[in-house]
Amino acid sequence: MSPETAHVRVSHVTKRFGGVTAVDDVSFEVPKGSFATLLGPSGCGKTTTLRMIAGFYDPDEGDIEIAGRRVNELPVHRRGTAMVFQDYALFPHMTVRDNVAYGLKVAHVSGADRTRRVDETLAFVGLGGLGDRWPNQLSGGQQQRVAVARALVIQPQVLLLDEPLSNLDAKLREQLRVEMRVLQRRLGMTFVYVTHDQEEALSLSDWIAVMNAGKVEQAGAPWEIYYRPRTAFLADFVGSVNLVPAKVLDVTDDSVTIAFGSQHASVQRPKDVTLAAGQEVKLCLRPESFTIGSSAAKGVEHGIDLSGTIVRRAFLGDTMRYWVKVEDREWIVDQPDPGGSATLDGPVSLSLRPDRVHVIAE
Amino acid sequence: MRSLQREPALLLALLAVTALVLLFVVYPQLQVVLTPGPGGYVQFLEEGTWVGPLRNSIQLTLLSTTTAVVLGFVYAYAMVYSNMRWKPFFRLVGILPLLSPPFVVAAAYTLLFGARGVITYGVFGQSPNIYGLNGVWGVQTIAFFPFAYQLIADALSRSDPRMEQAAHNLGAGSWRVFRTVTLPLSRPGLGAAILTTAIYILEDFGNPQLIGGTFYVLPTQAYSLISSFGEYTSAAALSTILLLLALGLYLAKVRLDGGRSFVTISGRASSMPRPPVSAGVSRACFVACLALAGIILLVYGSLVVSALTLRFPNNLQFTTEHFQYVLSGTNGDALRNTLVFSSVAAAVSAVFALFAGWLVQRGHWKGRQALDLLLILPAAIPGIFFGLGYLLAFNQRWLDFVDRGWLIIIAFIFWNIPVGYQAAVAGLRQIDRSIDEAATSLGASSLRGFRDVVLPMLGGSLRVGFVTTFVRAVTTLSLVIFLFTPPTTVATIRIYQLVGDLNWGAATAYTVSDIGMAIIALLIFAVLARGRIALGAARA
Amino acid sequence: MTPELDRRRFLQLAGATALIAACGGAPAATASTAPKATGRISIYSALNETTNNQLFAAFTKATGVEVSALPLAAAGDLQTKITAEKNNPQADIFVGGSSEFHDPLGKQGLLEAYQSPNAKDVQAQFKEASGLWTGWYTGIFGFISNTSRLNADIGGKKPATWDDLLDPVWKQRLILPDPIKTGGGYIFIATQIFRFGKDETKAMDFMKKLHPNILSYGPTSPGVITSITNGEAAGAPNWSHDILTEKAKDPTRIDLTVPTDTGFEVGAVSIVKGTKNPLGAQAFVDWVLTKEAGDLNTKLSNRGSVRTDVAPAPGAPTLTSVKLVNYDRQWATDNKTRIQKLWQAAVGL
Repeated sequence: MSPETAHVRVSHVTKRFGGVTAVDDVSFEVPKGSFATLLGPSGCGKTTTLRMIAGFYDPDEGDIEIAGRRVNELPVHRRGTAMVFQDYALFPHMTVRDNVAYGLKVAHVSGADRTRRVDETLAFVGLGGLGDRWPNQLSGGQQQRVAVARALVIQPQVLLLDEPLSNLDAKLREQLRVEMRVLQRRLGMTFVYVTHDQEEALSLSDWIAVMNAGKVEQAGAPWEIYYRPRTAFLADFVGSVNLVPAKVLDVTDDSVTIAFGSQHASVQRPKDVTLAAGQEVKLCLRPESFTIGSSAAKGVEHGIDLSGTIVRRAFLGDTMRYWVKVEDREWIVDQPDPGGSATLDGPVSLSLRPDRVHVIAE
Repeated sequence: MRSLQREPALLLALLAVTALVLLFVVYPQLQVVLTPGPGGYVQFLEEGTWVGPLRNSIQLTLLSTTTAVVLGFVYAYAMVYSNMRWKPFFRLVGILPLLSPPFVVAAAYTLLFGARGVITYGVFGQSPNIYGLNGVWGVQTIAFFPFAYQLIADALSRSDPRMEQAAHNLGAGSWRVFRTVTLPLSRPGLGAAILTTAIYILEDFGNPQLIGGTFYVLPTQAYSLISSFGEYTSAAALSTILLLLALGLYLAKVRLDGGRSFVTISGRASSMPRPPVSAGVSRACFVACLALAGIILLVYGSLVVSALTLRFPNNLQFTTEHFQYVLSGTNGDALRNTLVFSSVAAAVSAVFALFAGWLVQRGHWKGRQALDLLLILPAAIPGIFFGLGYLLAFNQRWLDFVDRGWLIIIAFIFWNIPVGYQAAVAGLRQIDRSIDEAATSLGASSLRGFRDVVLPMLGGSLRVGFVTTFVRAVTTLSLVIFLFTPPTTVATIRIYQLVGDLNWGAATAYTVSDIGMAIIALLIFAVLARGRIALGAARA
Repeated sequence: MTPELDRRRFLQLAGATALIAACGGAPAATASTAPKATGRISIYSALNETTNNQLFAAFTKATGVEVSALPLAAAGDLQTKITAEKNNPQADIFVGGSSEFHDPLGKQGLLEAYQSPNAKDVQAQFKEASGLWTGWYTGIFGFISNTSRLNADIGGKKPATWDDLLDPVWKQRLILPDPIKTGGGYIFIATQIFRFGKDETKAMDFMKKLHPNILSYGPTSPGVITSITNGEAAGAPNWSHDILTEKAKDPTRIDLTVPTDTGFEVGAVSIVKGTKNPLGAQAFVDWVLTKEAGDLNTKLSNRGSVRTDVAPAPGAPTLTSVKLVNYDRQWATDNKTRIQKLWQAAVGL
């Protein structure tokens, strides 16, 4: 990525708290106008990284650049960023309108101009007419929108969001997720978003960096992370997965032959990974990439065909999830749109396309 | 530290605050501490006259602090949580004991409850010996519970009802909720209350002097050394011991505090009401507060009676001559001086204390702990030494052009910073940092964020600081003894002079006028502040 | 020195002085051409309010010098203030308070020596040799009794000696000013020591035997008087002049006696070093030593004067009418801390 298009650049940033290294030599670049997400379990350093971009923490090592400008020495209020906090951090002694207007007031935006922009932004987030309420008179979702409006109205270069939806119920979260994405698209603003919810990350982002124990494990487009995770941790963290141990039989330029159990197949060779014959690897097989059918009715054959027995099942609404015993392992297999009555039981046959198999070598 | 470097205005503010504290707290005190010189200290320590008083001071402080804080807590709980009636009345009564110009109020206790006390002897026919440890313990409890009450009430009012509702919801009864949720979460306020109350009790000299009998404590010994024997070198050595004791108290508090979070005000607002307090509890609160108010009103009432009779309690003939004397001539000047000096000092002190509290509590810079200590230190310095230090430090020829009134005001400001400061720190610990951060994130510099966001939210702490500074300024004698000049005489000096003249009638009339003026001023301030400083208006 | 000796000595001195004055005509002649005192002086006064007001007004009337008074009832406070202000003295005159408070200032070089012509007639024991301070009034230690309680509880018998107070009839019926907190209380103990010829053991034994009779140790000397007036106890040692002042308010309520072998204080006046108006200050010292000032002070405060031509207040003891102990002021000051400790140990405090 060239400097001109990189809106936020974090270079070799390290942060220690006492004896603990919270962020360990992290580097990434966020393209301008994209929705970037830092994803990871709690304690992985994602919030710390976000707060360093905002300026609440100083990196012990490394540089942070925003719009090509090194901001390490700049105080929080001069970085051109605005943050939406997990707890919204609304000012309890100000009305909604005053909360939203605050940043403009500080920037010396005059009365009429200010009022107009506040009203516009409130309408934009769907809170028009609630300007005179006090924060404690609003619902959680409304408060969250005020927090977003307050940050948006000052037109920051980068909007930073620290798990803003984690305090809301599932339905509201889903709804706001969509709204947020639409918002970001419409404004074309660079968002840096922090969350531990991988579904949220996948659905919102143009670009995700998955962090673990202070390091970035993998960064890239959502589907890349999902279908081509580079480590077992990543594969397991993002979505459900079957990690099957396998052995490399043969390697060519763009394919690799692997064997597991009594099966063997030729699958796509992952980029930038050294493989050698005889190497032990893991196969990343997503539950939804199987076709499952009862043994009796021989169904489609995709290439890798297995048979197993259903051990248990869970109805997830849009999917039926089966735990299938294949040889000596339990595999998770999802059946989309299961229908009401027809459920499988007992011996089943599984079929998998080779191009859905991803090889992980750690 | 780098965060400070990035905001020069903040750094400057911090340096200014530190410089002022060094100049107006440390430097004068240093003069006093250095007075005896090493030889003087050795001699004083060898004489050993400090051992008994030291022991007594510790004992008295422990006892009085415990009861004063308990009482303050009950009162605060009653005011903030319960639904008892007459709260405005109790609010005033809760501040009254702070308005205690020296000698007269303590003497009123003896007049009422002493061996020939109007109440104890006149009504109950008893002749208790009020002098000694028990008497002064009782009087100090009543005299100092307002400190604890104010600080604790401030902290309690900021507790999050949702936490209590949650506990209630999980099946906890009112008492359990209180014990396991409310109490622990108000620890910052509680800690501040205990420390402040303890230190003020430690340096209290008026009550032990008049009621302590032969139970000598450090401040009374120091005061007597100066006033009765002119031995201020030995007295200065004593004040150093007091300082060290206060330092010990402070360190104990820091240790006990831990680093836990007591955040109860996050940016997530809630309109949830508090879980209801049972009617029985409210009634009990009412009775307790009424009993306390009764004693207080009796004491102050006796002052009014004393001021309006010829020679209370012997000659109960009604007269206005005392008041006429008091409000005539130069006596009025002294009252005016008191009002002006105290108001100015209170306003400045409250804001300064709040600002300093914010700098220390929210900052991440080295030396923060030292500044924290320095800001609490004045509480440990008996007024007489604080004033003496100022005299030693600032009575210089080249400073003659500065009006003595300003020196008194500055002394008032810095001597009374601890309470407002403690209130601010406790308050800040309950406010989530994210609120400050939100302000800076939206483009406001740290100082601006302080002004726009923190200051309004800490209206309660500001009020505590103002009220405490004001009442202490209005009623302190020892601080001004060395600083006043004839044109800058204040009310307490006049009272002192009248007492020395054995003119009790005039002295009490003066005291009543002094207290009355202070109450009126406080009421005016309360009305003025109601509109401007809101603490989460909708929450109230 | 006994009062009898004092008197003779005084007369000798007076005669000698008059002779010298007659011989040395020059001082008298230059008095009229000496520069006149003007302006204003700042007085630190330990006298009480009424005395200050009238005394200073009279002074201004007599000399034309204005007065800015800074009154503080505790002389120790004034002494401390003067000491603390030595870099930039604010006071011209320190008046009132016994000489124990002026003497240390003199020794520290904080006073200006001035031999007032009016001090010639003052006994040597009442002034500092080089004129650093001059005594101008005396206070004698006496005993106040509450008449009704004395009659009811003590059979109306006033103490003729301090030992009379050891009588069990006084049990828990005495108040003594606290010897740690008050000057008066300490002077009482010192008086006992001098009474026993500086035998501290006997004195402490006396105090120990006295202790059970003491209901309470009062925090201020004047406060003790009020306590007796209110009937809290039957009697208390205290300053005669204050007792007389209190008695005037209601003569039937309390009374004054002066037991034999009692102590006394000498009230002093001194000029603060660095005074900005030396002439005015000197004029004050001169004036306060006059008969006019002495009469006025006696009238206002019932104190005695060092001048023999000033009549004592009615009912007040004088240096000659009562038997005084040989009060060694310097010794009392130097040994104060030690004696206080001895006393605390003796009475078990």
